[in-house]
Amino acid sequence: MSLDKSKFESMQRDIQNELEKLKLEEETLFQDLGNMLNQRLFLDSKVKGLAKLLPTLKVVKHEAQDLVSTINDISESSEKISGKIRSLDAARSHVNECQQRVSDLIDLEICSQGVQTAILDSDYEKGAAHVHRFLSIDQSLLHRTATDMENLSGMQKSVRTLQDAASQLQAIVEHKFNEAVNCEDLVSIERFFKIFPLLGMHEEGIKALCTYLRTKVAATAEKNLKSAITTPLSDKRHSVIYADTLTLLFEGLARVVDTHQPLIETYYGPGRLLCAINILQKECDIQMKRVLTEWTRTRQINKKIQIITDLSRMSSSSSFSKLEKIDPKDLDILIGEITLMHFRTELYFRFIQRKVVSDLEVGVQDPDEKTKVLKSLENLIKNSDLTHSKHELLLHYLKLEQYFMEESVAKAVSMDSVEPSQQTSSMVDDTFFIVKKCIRRSISTGSLDGICAIINNACRVLENDFCDVLRARLRQGYPSGYLDLTQAYNVLQTSIQQGRLQASDTEQTRTAFLVALNNADSSTEYVDALCDSVLKEIEQALPAMNNNERGKLESCLSGLSSVTTNLKEIIEYGIQQLRVSAIKPRINPWVDNFTSINHQLTEDELSAYEAGESFVQTLIMNLETLLSLFKDVLTTANYDAFIAVLTTEVTQRLEKVIMKSSFNRLGGLVLDKEVRSLAGYITATTSWSVRDKFARLTQIATVLNLEQVAEFYDYWGDHDGALTWRLTPSEVRTIMALRSDFKVEEIKRLKL
Amino acid sequence: MDDYKFLFKVVLVGNAGVGKTCLVRRFTQGLFPPGQGATIGVDFMIKTVDVDNEKVKLQIWDTAGQERFRSITQSYYRSAHALILVYDISCQPTFDCLPDWLREIEEYASSKVLRVLVGNKIDREDREIPTHVGEEFAERHNMYFLETSAKEAENVEKLFMQIAEDLMKVSRFLCDN
Ligand SMILES: Nc1nc2c(ncn2[C@@H]2O[C@H](COP(=O)(O)OP(=O)(O)OP(=O)(O)O)[C@@H](O)[C@H]2O)c(=O)[nH]1
Ligand SMILES: [Mg+2]
Repeated sequence: MSLDKSKFESMQRDIQNELEKLKLEEETLFQDLGNMLNQRLFLDSKVKGLAKLLPTLKVVKHEAQDLVSTINDISESSEKISGKIRSLDAARSHVNECQQRVSDLIDLEICSQGVQTAILDSDYEKGAAHVHRFLSIDQSLLHRTATDMENLSGMQKSVRTLQDAASQLQAIVEHKFNEAVNCEDLVSIERFFKIFPLLGMHEEGIKALCTYLRTKVAATAEKNLKSAITTPLSDKRHSVIYADTLTLLFEGLARVVDTHQPLIETYYGPGRLLCAINILQKECDIQMKRVLTEWTRTRQINKKIQIITDLSRMSSSSSFSKLEKIDPKDLDILIGEITLMHFRTELYFRFIQRKVVSDLEVGVQDPDEKTKVLKSLENLIKNSDLTHSKHELLLHYLKLEQYFMEESVAKAVSMDSVEPSQQTSSMVDDTFFIVKKCIRRSISTGSLDGICAIINNACRVLENDFCDVLRARLRQGYPSGYLDLTQAYNVLQTSIQQGRLQASDTEQTRTAFLVALNNADSSTEYVDALCDSVLKEIEQALPAMNNNERGKLESCLSGLSSVTTNLKEIIEYGIQQLRVSAIKPRINPWVDNFTSINHQLTEDELSAYEAGESFVQTLIMNLETLLSLFKDVLTTANYDAFIAVLTTEVTQRLEKVIMKSSFNRLGGLVLDKEVRSLAGYITATTSWSVRDKFARLTQIATVLNLEQVAEFYDYWGDHDGALTWRLTPSEVRTIMALRSDFKVEEIKRLKL
Repeated sequence: MDDYKFLFKVVLVGNAGVGKTCLVRRFTQGLFPPGQGATIGVDFMIKTVDVDNEKVKLQIWDTAGQERFRSITQSYYRSAHALILVYDISCQPTFDCLPDWLREIEEYASSKVLRVLVGNKIDREDREIPTHVGEEFAERHNMYFLETSAKEAENVEKLFMQIAEDLMKVSRFLCDN
């Protein structure tokens, strides 16, 4: 029953809904209808307007059809006209060709008549000019003309005459040129050189001239080498005489190229310089080799390299060495000479490149042809003996320079000395002077690979040889025990000056330790400065580095700058040594004194305490004495690091002894004051902020300085007066418990 | 641009003509270069790869095998994280020189350097060094071993990727400790 009712109700609801929907639909329909009715007027007027336009459109259509037919007519007639023009063009080019053929024939006639006379008169220029005209006639056209012509034999005769004359002239010119060379007749040499290209003998001409020039270059080189060999030791160029000889060779060649290039360009056309340079390079290779052979012999290069190689093998296998070392100083000048020789060679290549490229720019337009010539220039350079010799020079240079660097640094280390009042010793200045000198010298070779190798080597020497010494000195440790450091320092100095070493081992070790620590610090600055200046100099010396080369250089330089990472580790190690042996043993008893002092003061006791020397005054005085020992003997950065470590030690120790004491209100008050003055003192000694290191201690003092437990809320929580706490809630409770006047239950009740 | 987490230096060494440059080109540019000449000094190439979703930058130093460049090439051993020693499986002398190369590596490279022995040109018919001979040599000298063909792109990707993965493992291990 109730089911039926509910069914009925739901049906009723559905019907109701349907009705609502229909009503809504009806309403929308009404609205639409209304809208349409509204638009009717507007639409009516539009339709009327369109109806009026209709006749006009018909007229437009007619006119358009007329236009189309007119255009068709025009296009037809223009087609006809252009056809006529085309045939006119063809006719004109026929006429042109005809004229050309006729003028060729006339010239042919004139040339064949003139050439023999010219030869007989020894007027080779004129003869060659005739041949040149003949050669410039399109030979295939000549052939066609011959078949078209009736008077065939006359023309054939002319051609044959000219062909004969050409080969005759070719032979004569070659012969005359050689004759001129034999008599060193410069005017004739130039005269006949200019005739070669007229006869189509471009390559032969260049070859003949360059072969002649080779003999000149060879003769001069021979003379220069002889004079180099006989240069007396006393001559001030003696030490670089072979570099000078090479320079003369290159300069001579450059002059030859410079003087003959305009001649070649004018008479042979641009784009032919590479051909000449190719031939000259052969002589250059030969002469360079001769100079190098003589240089190797005179300077005993092989022997020196051998000794160096043997020495490096020895030192890696056994410390015992029977070989006499070479004093690096003795190599200095030789290395200078090699860099000069290498650089001159490099410059010569750059000269050739510049010349050929600019010749190419003028003469060759086709980009494919250009790349081809550039490729053959690259091959010419790559495969020349000069390149090989250059590599050999660089190899020698690198071996000698590496030895020079290693040995000089070793010497700087072994002759290390400290000037009085200096924080660092001589090995730092000396080592970086040497390293910089070597890198700069490598830059003067002009070879990026050479520069990179020396930078890598500098990195190795600094990281291994140099840092190892600093590390070893610090590893000796800083002997603890009471001492007057300044005194130790002075004693060491005077004894060194007086040639007797009296200072006790301890004092010496201490000084050595501190100096090593300072050396490490000052070396970091040297490394940074070195990287900066080297990069600048390289950019100046090699302005045309591409991205890849730059990447290579930067990678090597970043290796050098990362030497500072090693140095920083060394400094950290040294400072930790000082912490253990110089700071901790001294500071602990001073701070521990705190426990022997009464921190539960009456008003009277407070006045008495403040009248006398307080704990913190004594502590500061002691710290002052300790710091004064290190202030002047440590570099600024090291001294700051020293104070940082000292501060950590003092605050941590003080915290520890505070936790072992018990305070009343006045005791807390005194502590708070003392912590503040201690922090104030240390802040004044250093350039960095000590607030952070004192944070915990200051907060402990704040807790102990409370009037009552509940006052703590003034500092805790997230209101404006609250502090950022470094103490945990449980630490706060423990510290509060140090106040004998605070009730345990109250502390427990604190909501933290 | 420099969005990499790890940077490793990989140096290729070995006799002239064993195919070092071809291996590097194959890996960095995906091609087998026709008729490029012997390397002069050192070439330098960079490729960034993904290992375990991390960017690893490989700085690859392709050294010249010719004796006259030894002073230049040696200077790069020290800072190398990995050294690839290459020989040509079709050329006995390049294999015979391996002990000399090892001596050089011993002298100039870091003791921690990852060392990999590679026998290249396995596409060639005229093999002179059997695989097991190379394998044994590598094992005796504590090196990884792989045979490759730069020409047929065989094992080249694997060679460099394995080095990258290995170096990353080592560097992670050092970081964690
Ligand atoms: N069949 C074959 N030939 C190769 C392969 N790899 C290199 N070559 C050829 O070996 C020759 C030398 O290759 P390079 O890559 O220039 O050799 P390299 O070790 O770089 O030589 P240097 O630079 O002088 O030390 C070239 O002719 C290459 O075509 C290879 O996997 N298979
Ligand atoms: Mg190569």
